[in-house]
Amino acid sequence: MSTDRDLLFAHYHGRLLRYFCRAVGRLDVARDLTQDVFLRVSRTAIPSGADVDVSAWLFRIARNLALDHHRTRRRHPDPSPLVDDRTRAAPQDVAFAVNTALASLPALDRDVFLMREVAGLSYDEIAGACELTPDAVRSRIHRTRLELRSQLAAPISARQSTPMRRSGRDT
Amino acid sequence: MSERHEVISAFIDDEPFDPQELASVLSEPSGRALLIDLVALRHIVQPDDVALSGALTSRTSSRLRAVGVAAALVLALGGGYLMGQSRSGAIPADAPAPTRIVEGPAAWQAPLPRSAQ
Repeated sequence: MSTDRDLLFAHYHGRLLRYFCRAVGRLDVARDLTQDVFLRVSRTAIPSGADVDVSAWLFRIARNLALDHHRTRRRHPDPSPLVDDRTRAAPQDVAFAVNTALASLPALDRDVFLMREVAGLSYDEIAGACELTPDAVRSRIHRTRLELRSQLAAPISARQSTPMRRSGRDT
Repeated sequence: MSERHEVISAFIDDEPFDPQELASVLSEPSGRALLIDLVALRHIVQPDDVALSGALTSRTSSRLRAVGVAAALVLALGGGYLMGQSRSGAIPADAPAPTRIVEGPAAWQAPLPRSAQ
C-alpha cells in the first residue's frame, strides 16, 4: 500500500504543487497544501477499480483544501501581498497581473482552468474532480480563457515577441 | 468570440476536435489571433519552474540523503559482520602443536615442602 502512495506522490506531487501555486498565489502555502493532500491520502484508502479516476479523486481533495484556504483568508485577511516573488512566471508585474486576474474569477472557473492549464488534467479528469460534465468543462475552460485574454492583453502581447511551445513549458 | 472558437481550446488541450470546424475557424484572422493568444496565455500563467524545481529538489535531496545514510549503515553493519565471521573462522579451536619442548630441571618439577606453601 505504501508503494501505491509512493507512486501517487511521485506522479502527482509536482502537478498539485503547480496547481496550488496559482490557486493560492504563494509558494509556501502551496507547499503546505500539497503536503496536506498527501496527509489526507495517508489516512484513507486509495480508491481502486476500473471506474475510479485517481487524478479526479486527488484533485477533488486539492480543490477542497484550496477552497478552505480561501474561506479562511476571507475571515482572517492575510496582510502579506498576493504576489510571491518565488512564484513569478516572468517579471513581477506579469505575476501580479496573472494572480490578480485569477483571483477575480469565480472559484470554479479558476479551478477548472488551472487544473487544465498548469496541472495538465484532461477534460474527463477535471469533470470528475469538479463534478461537471466534460462538455461543461470544455465550455468553462474556453470562457475563462477568453476572460483572461481580455484581462491580460498586455502581457499576452508581450509574450508573443519570444518563441513559444504549445505546452507552455519553456524548459 | 463565439462558441465556435471552443474548438481552438480543444485543439490546444489535445482533446478530441472536429478538424473541419478547426479549419473553418482558423481560416479567419480572428481565429488565428485567438490561437496564438491562448498559447501565450498558457505561457504566462505557468508558475516559475525554477522556484518549483527548488521545492521539489529539496524534498528529493533530503530523501536521497536519508537513503544514503541508510545504505552506509547497512554497509557498515554488513561489513563488520562479514569481517567478524572471517576472523572467527581463522582462529583454530584447539591450541597449536608445540614447535619446541624445553626440558626444565628436575628440581623445578619437585613439590615444594609443606612449610613453604
